Amino acid sequence: MLKKKYLTAALFSALILSACGGGEAESNQEAGSSEGKTPIEITWRGTGEEDAVLKYLENFEKDFESENSDIDLVLTPIPGGEGDYNTRLALSMQSANTAPDVISEDTFILHSDAAANYLTNLDDYVGEWEEWDQFFENVKEGVTAADGSVYGIPTVTDTRGIWYNIEVFEEAGLPADWQPQSWDEILETAQIIKDSQPDVIPFSMNVAAVNGEATSMQGFQMLFYGTGDTLYDEEQQKWNVNSQGFVDALTFIDEFMNQRELGPSLSIALNNNYTPTVIQDMLPNNQVAMVLDGNWQVRNFLEGGVAEMENVEERIGFAPMPTQNGEEPGYVTMAGGWAWSIPENSQNKEEAWRVIQAMSDYESQLQRVNSEGSLTVRKDVAEDSSYLERPLIETPTKILENAHFRPKSDLYPNVSIEIQRAVEAVSSGSMTPEEAAEQYRQGVIDIVGEENTY
Amino acid sequence: MEAARESNKRILSDNIKTAIFLTPALIILLIFFLIPMGLTILFSFTNLALTGAQAQQIEFVGFDNFVRMFNDNQLYDSILKTLIFVVSSGVIGQISLGFLIAFLMKGKNAIFRRFIGICVITAWVIPEIVAAFTWVAFLADSGTLNVIATSLGNIRPIAFLFQYPMISVVVANIWRGTAFCMLAFQTALDDISKEVEEAAYMDGASRFQNIFYITIPMVKGTIATTLMLTTLSTLGVFTLIYTMTAGGPGNATMTLPVYMYQQAFVSYQLGYGTAISLVILILGAIFGFVYTKLLKVD
Amino acid sequence: MRIGKVEKFIHHTILVVIAILFILPLLWMLFSSVDTTPIQSLKIPEQFTFQNYLGIIQNPAIIRSFAISLFLSFGQSFVVVIVAIIAAYPLSRYNATYEKPFMYTILFLTSLPMSAVIVPVFQMFLLLNFHDQLWAVALFMAGASLPYAIWLMKNFMDSVPVELEESAWIDGASVWQGIKKVIAPLMVPGIFTVFIFTFTGSWGNFLVPFILIQTPENMPASVTIYQFFGNYGLIDFGGLTAYSVLYSLPVVFLYFLAQRYMSKGFSFGGATKG
Repeated sequence: MLKKKYLTAALFSALILSACGGGEAESNQEAGSSEGKTPIEITWRGTGEEDAVLKYLENFEKDFESENSDIDLVLTPIPGGEGDYNTRLALSMQSANTAPDVISEDTFILHSDAAANYLTNLDDYVGEWEEWDQFFENVKEGVTAADGSVYGIPTVTDTRGIWYNIEVFEEAGLPADWQPQSWDEILETAQIIKDSQPDVIPFSMNVAAVNGEATSMQGFQMLFYGTGDTLYDEEQQKWNVNSQGFVDALTFIDEFMNQRELGPSLSIALNNNYTPTVIQDMLPNNQVAMVLDGNWQVRNFLEGGVAEMENVEERIGFAPMPTQNGEEPGYVTMAGGWAWSIPENSQNKEEAWRVIQAMSDYESQLQRVNSEGSLTVRKDVAEDSSYLERPLIETPTKILENAHFRPKSDLYPNVSIEIQRAVEAVSSGSMTPEEAAEQYRQGVIDIVGEENTY
Repeated sequence: MEAARESNKRILSDNIKTAIFLTPALIILLIFFLIPMGLTILFSFTNLALTGAQAQQIEFVGFDNFVRMFNDNQLYDSILKTLIFVVSSGVIGQISLGFLIAFLMKGKNAIFRRFIGICVITAWVIPEIVAAFTWVAFLADSGTLNVIATSLGNIRPIAFLFQYPMISVVVANIWRGTAFCMLAFQTALDDISKEVEEAAYMDGASRFQNIFYITIPMVKGTIATTLMLTTLSTLGVFTLIYTMTAGGPGNATMTLPVYMYQQAFVSYQLGYGTAISLVILILGAIFGFVYTKLLKVD
Repeated sequence: MRIGKVEKFIHHTILVVIAILFILPLLWMLFSSVDTTPIQSLKIPEQFTFQNYLGIIQNPAIIRSFAISLFLSFGQSFVVVIVAIIAAYPLSRYNATYEKPFMYTILFLTSLPMSAVIVPVFQMFLLLNFHDQLWAVALFMAGASLPYAIWLMKNFMDSVPVELEESAWIDGASVWQGIKKVIAPLMVPGIFTVFIFTFTGSWGNFLVPFILIQTPENMPASVTIYQFFGNYGLIDFGGLTAYSVLYSLPVVFLYFLAQRYMSKGFSFGGATKG
């Protein structure tokens, strides 16, 4: 009987202790806003301890708050996977009670969120903003929705290409300044590497549905836009579901993954930890020769990065992805990026706009872009010496001028899921390229309606 | 006449008394369970989406989602995968392994029983995400199972999660859920009086006859209840599968909860997603109906 | 039951093998968490370290998330147990005509996945101004686990003989006193079972707090664990496994605490007679 009492007491004290913990939090929260400052909540997809955006924002917060005593910045990263993040954000933007004031939007979902009326139309704001002229024109395109209005201020952009390990290349007798001219040349190079170093994975790219947009954009579309086809006809607003390029791109994946076994094993390729494994671990350790991925991955190899190395340009190279048969301009890249947007339901739009302006100025942009290893959206930053002297920046910047952007349609995120399913079906060997293309055709028709396809 | 009126009165008062006792439960259930459930069912008749133009103008689309389900091959495939998963991991795996452990433990030394119990139960009480991650590591190319396998024979590591995805998630789920069945059967078996079994033994019944004709019928009620609860909880398994395989590779482990999640949260088609969740509900009801009929217990 | 020595030996062997198979995947977690160089497979650490644990214990944000988890899970489980006892009593003792339909309806509704229900709940929370309120989150989780709990509890209660209670009534006890003095003590194993069942369920729940709680500081441990996972970089096995051990500890501890009361395991007594 006595013991039972102890148990109950223990359980209750745990309860009370934790209840106190809970209460304390709320009172802290209250204290912040009661000083007459306007709290501005900034939300982005948090990535834990090594979060580059968090580090950048913490610095920004210090500077900004010392100059703007009326605003209290509240940094609220949301953890979780891509789907979890977008769901949570979409839900909270539906109400004035929960909407953040500034959000970090992946440009691929910006069109959808604009169509859902989640975002504030920024036309009037940028109209009176002198610095808007400093932004690259094609980057502005990425934040302009189908209705022709601006819904976000770009903050970083990016391109994609083939990261290759120079030591592995030299071991196989391949040139250090390698530049492939066609898909076939990639496969041939991969074969040479396989023959000379059987333990090295010759070629790798994102092929898993679980890795979401990365598989669609860093992976499939880097091939697909090299065939000359396009996913979506923006003039007619119709989706292309009968494309030979679609089958060709899937065939390339089938070739290197299954037919010629030039890719990673499924345990690596279909893992949700694919990118860090390949980029941060295998590429620096000479275990993989070529990886198709984003230019921002360079940050891993620079000072303070996860796989920091000296003389990175002597060990790692970045080659543009060739078009299918070397068609003009000889290479292909997709460009994406992130933007800052103001939810329509934000209660403090004027203050939020001031915050975005401050985040978008020369100094702040330079810090952000250098800490993340991505490409700048401002012309003046692009000329800054600290930006230009970054290793491996030249090629990614150069190819930006011919970059393709993802379809400007609010249904793109859904179509993208169908692309990911098709890619994984082929890479895992459960469908032929033709079957997967047919599944894609059906899937897209279900999403957009048959009348909106061609 | 009198007696009938008496019993009518009794039923009436039972109904009222029961309702009074149920009030607190009903209030919580109504606000936090039944209303959201009702809304969920309502949503399945809409084109509700989380983003895009459809999020702006939600419309009732009648049975459109259900017509679409009818033509959705992936849905049929998911129903099949769900059945395979539920029957092999829940109905067969957890129940029989749980019964086996409980049966073997009967009459053993208390400390020994406790030791075995701890091993089995830890798998059940740890958080699902931890269990899932433990299995991802256990089955990885350089994971424990492959290290053991390669040290026994000179073979290349097997990518269990990719070559045998369904078996992998089934085994992991058996591992996780057996404890519940074991605990249920342990009690039921302990309740069987020694005399009954002794008597059967005297009559010359073999060990297996004994199990099939005496033990199992005696715990039939427990089996029925455990089957029901196990089936319903297996039907809803999401985190374990999603963490281990995310429904893949391809669609190899795309059970209904995973497919539902994909449609609702990854493709943002909330309306269609909720319609799929109703299929899960119906499957649960069918299982329940079959059990009650087959085992003739309430 | 009389069994021979050989058979007894076989029984023991099978059980030990099963126990090893069950514990094997978990050993990796334990060993890696104290290893300076953890890998993905089980290995005896060459060098022991508590650094992984210290890193977590010294992180106030993580400790805070544990406290919030405790609050949510205890709060929810207490509500569930008390309400379930009150609800199970008439279902076990009286013969209401709507008993069966009621029982089956609530039971089958639990098979709706949480992910299907969470969006309506979110919208309802906004409407009622419940969003970001930890107590409301606990109550919602209580509502979602009540059906199962009522089911279990009714089955436990069926196994408590009604005669015991009747003799208490004859001594002048009320129905409520009967529940408190006669039924509850006999139901301790059942109550613990329901408690633990409910507790473990909410302890590991990611989606509900993730959607319903706004303030990052109020996120429970089931959400903060995500900072150790995938696509954020190479998995830090040491940190992840140490976190997993700490995260599992409260439920395992709770189970051992309760085990003596559950020593009878749990009985679906009424049904056994059916």
